[in-house]
Amino acid sequence: MMAPFFKYGMFGDEVSLIVAFIIGIGFGFFLERAGFGSARKLAAQFYFTDMTVLKVMFTAIVTAMLGVYYLSIIGWMDLSMVYLTPTNIMPQVVGGLLLGFGFVIGGYCPGTSCVSAATGRTDGIVYLLGVVFGIFGFGEVFPLVSGFYNSTLMGQVTLPQFFNLPYGVVVFLVVVMAVSAFVAAEWGEKNMAKKAEAKK
Amino acid sequence: MKNLTLNKKLAFIAIGLGFIGLFLGNPYKGNLVSMNTTELGMIVESKVDHVSVQDLADWIIQSKMDFKLIDLRTEQEYNEYHIPNSDNITLTALEKTSIPKTEKIVLYSEGGIHSAQAWMLLKAKGYKGVYILFGGLEDWKDQILFPKLSETATPEQIAKFEKTKEVSKFFGGTPSVGGTADVKTETPKMEMPKLDNQSGNKAPDGAPKKKKEGC
Amino acid sequence: MSTLVQTPDTEKKSVSVPKPYWNPYLSGIGLGLVLLLSFVIMGRGLGASGAFSSGVAYVMEKVAPTHTKANEFYGEYLGDGSKNPLKDWLVFEVLGVFVGGFISGALGGRIKKKIEKGPNVTDRKRLIFAFIGGALMGVGAKLARGCTSGQALTGGSVLNLGSWAFMMCVFAGAYALAYFMRRQWL
Repeated sequence: MMAPFFKYGMFGDEVSLIVAFIIGIGFGFFLERAGFGSARKLAAQFYFTDMTVLKVMFTAIVTAMLGVYYLSIIGWMDLSMVYLTPTNIMPQVVGGLLLGFGFVIGGYCPGTSCVSAATGRTDGIVYLLGVVFGIFGFGEVFPLVSGFYNSTLMGQVTLPQFFNLPYGVVVFLVVVMAVSAFVAAEWGEKNMAKKAEAKK
Repeated sequence: MKNLTLNKKLAFIAIGLGFIGLFLGNPYKGNLVSMNTTELGMIVESKVDHVSVQDLADWIIQSKMDFKLIDLRTEQEYNEYHIPNSDNITLTALEKTSIPKTEKIVLYSEGGIHSAQAWMLLKAKGYKGVYILFGGLEDWKDQILFPKLSETATPEQIAKFEKTKEVSKFFGGTPSVGGTADVKTETPKMEMPKLDNQSGNKAPDGAPKKKKEGC
Repeated sequence: MSTLVQTPDTEKKSVSVPKPYWNPYLSGIGLGLVLLLSFVIMGRGLGASGAFSSGVAYVMEKVAPTHTKANEFYGEYLGDGSKNPLKDWLVFEVLGVFVGGFISGALGGRIKKKIEKGPNVTDRKRLIFAFIGGALMGVGAKLARGCTSGQALTGGSVLNLGSWAFMMCVFAGAYALAYFMRRQWL
């Protein structure tokens, strides 16, 4: 059967909810394995002392990216059936910045805050409440911001399309970029550790 | 390679896979297309892509088969009866077809809905010569296989009906005259009228006018 | 759960009782495989913020039905009213995240009621910041159509342009503000 299985009718909505739950378990499991239940560990990324966020995130992206690419090339998967969120470039840029602020102020992102709350962190729970409040606030003022929210729609665009490069080339560049970032991160961490040692 | 740590091994694997990707193709297999909706709308309104059942019957009789005739129904329906010289290709199979885009295609289904939808799909994929059998198999049965001459027909109509009767008999149908009573309209069995089953010949004059583009 | 041999590059300072975290690259691969599985089975990726939106829409509809239904934003999550907004893929996925996080934490001896913060800030301040941070994230995630899970991870792996732009901005925004928040963490 061709993947994505759900899109090809292998099972219905009810079963997909069970699938969602199981996948969520895997998601939460590995987030906690990486240490993302701790705001301190997450925030340390932005002080260069602990670059786990970068390592985990980009490793995950590279893994899934290579997986999807190869499965599609072989013909076991139809990549065009995987949902691609349309790009609204300006709101996404502004949203990203706000998210970045929220990340370093709050110490979590929505997914990791769930993991944090599940492992007993009070600040994780409070953070979750904050997210709910933020969404509520956004919903209430939505009529005012809907213009901006829907602005600068570019449709479904991929990096290869935008930069007019073959897909495989972009895949390669992403891998190279990620590995370079990892090398830099390792070096950076060692450096910060040395400095910390020197201070003592 | 014993000195390499786990992380270095992972990095090598990743870079290796990425590097190979440089030489592999596009993971998107060409089912994402763009359509000019204005152009398609105009074609639909102009009806140049319609083919009448009479024309189709004539072409089959005269062996003017420079097009592919496609039956979009299920295999079972096709086996019960199909218009001679047609191929059975359902919509989902048609979507993946390797028929060259320069080929002329005439689509028919039971009525006209599936053939119209298939028309849209093929046009979106870039096929230039796509045509719909107007009225589908229903009209084919009505006008070709089981034509009826009304009791109050004019002499001209009676004369024309002679030809209609010939066409109908050619395809194994049963023409009938008059009567409000239900005529038994059983579709003929699948012994096809003896046609020289060649196709792909260039159409002589009198062939359907197909729109050409480019130089 | 046995911990893997830690290479010199990735030594973690392990606190006394809880077991050390995994090699981040292996966690990343694990995460990536879960994401890949989601693509292969469902044709969609992961997410988190969307589930909270559904939750908010659900509660709002119960509390103030006419106001909520008239609002375009909530309307997206309520649909035509025939389906419960909580019967949503993301909602179930997020429930799974809680469970998965708990399982991993339990196996690693890391379940503990505490407040994660740096040494130089009070508990109260930390919680206030957590709330504010969460609120900012909530707004940001809605504008961007997703958070780090939905946009950065999911969109990133299918090379979605908006997702990569978003990801860059998240890092940019966080680094930009890091200096001002150092009291809280360092």
